[in-house]
Amino acid sequence: MYGRRASQLLKELGSCEAGQLTPFDSDSFDQVTKECNKHNLQLQSLIRKIEDQNLDIQTTRNEDHFGAVIHHLSLTRNKRCLMAYMYNRAEVIQSFRWKVGPVLPQEIQEKLNYSEEEYFKSHSAAIESYMSELDLDLTVDMVPPKDPYIRVRVLDDIGEVCLGDHSISLTKHSLHFLRRTDAEQFISQGLMEEFLE
Amino acid sequence: MASSSSWEEGDAAAAAAAATDVELLKRAWRNEKAAPEILRFEAALVARAREQIQLLEETVEEFMENGVDDLVVSLYQMDLDRTLFLLRSYLRIRLQKIEKYMIHISKSNLWNRLSEQEQRFAKRCTEIMEKHLEQSVLSKLPYGYQSMLKQSISSEEDDMVPEPQLDTFVFCKTKGAVGAFQLDDIGDEIVDLVADDLYVLRYKSIKGLVESGQIDLV
Repeated sequence: MYGRRASQLLKELGSCEAGQLTPFDSDSFDQVTKECNKHNLQLQSLIRKIEDQNLDIQTTRNEDHFGAVIHHLSLTRNKRCLMAYMYNRAEVIQSFRWKVGPVLPQEIQEKLNYSEEEYFKSHSAAIESYMSELDLDLTVDMVPPKDPYIRVRVLDDIGEVCLGDHSISLTKHSLHFLRRTDAEQFISQGLMEEFLE
Repeated sequence: MASSSSWEEGDAAAAAAAATDVELLKRAWRNEKAAPEILRFEAALVARAREQIQLLEETVEEFMENGVDDLVVSLYQMDLDRTLFLLRSYLRIRLQKIEKYMIHISKSNLWNRLSEQEQRFAKRCTEIMEKHLEQSVLSKLPYGYQSMLKQSISSEEDDMVPEPQLDTFVFCKTKGAVGAFQLDDIGDEIVDLVADDLYVLRYKSIKGLVESGQIDLV
């Protein structure tokens, strides 16, 4: 049936949890693009047939005309599905810049195709250049602040870090009382967690 | 006595001015957060807020150096953090709206609502998105179906551009009395907007009031 593959592609997208990604389905994707080109060939041959019969392409309403319309509509439907698939994935990918940071972990990167990886890099560069024009980091402070200081536990050996006017050594499993803005960058990288008693 | 009262007045006035700017920023942030489409960039307000933030930062630093009571310092720090959050969140929400509706924004008069930097960001984002869709989808489609904006060459208008849903309902609060207000074009639905009351209305119908500042979104 025309358009079934394409709708499966979107169902895959829909069945995924919001904000998550499934691996790029290049198999279905390629099949849908092939289907598009097949539709186009048939569409063109029907149009040629109408023209060969010396009929006016604008007003003819014979079986060839309606056949051509079906191929045209199937093609645009497939296109919409392909674009929606790509576009919605791109939206999730750009949200990673805010949630995960400028470097994607391996398990996410495996789910992207080549163009998507490139997209993520260029898009995150665009955000960075906006932030540097403004001289303001927008990736911290994602939740409204409560206490300006928080207790954190270090999850990995980070080493000597300069925070404000003094430097502290962040060794694994040590506890610290830090400014929230200082700690946030480490928390989002998974190097620290908030310590709750 | 006289000098002390004038000092108090001056201080109160300064405090009031500071409070209003933060209040204004909070209002701009709330409106931006609740509105489905991007609103006018509050350039002057953002500039003032950034100045005040810098001043606060300097004050906190000075206090720390002079060994002022920790409690006082942390109160100032908290105030500073809250203002910074508001500012960052405000700019962030706008960027995310631009990310979502960049093509629609760049092709309509919404473009003038962006700051210069946001315009540059939107332009770059659009180029990146265009390139991405071009190389992954459009270049593989047959001739006549390769436009990012139109479904096919036979579409007369751009029919593939994501647009914000202006029909959506929003919570809003009137500031002053607006009076009888027409919600639709025909005049079938008229609501009397009294001062300081909460309403749930379609964004589309009160769009003008939000833009003129007569009503706030919450």
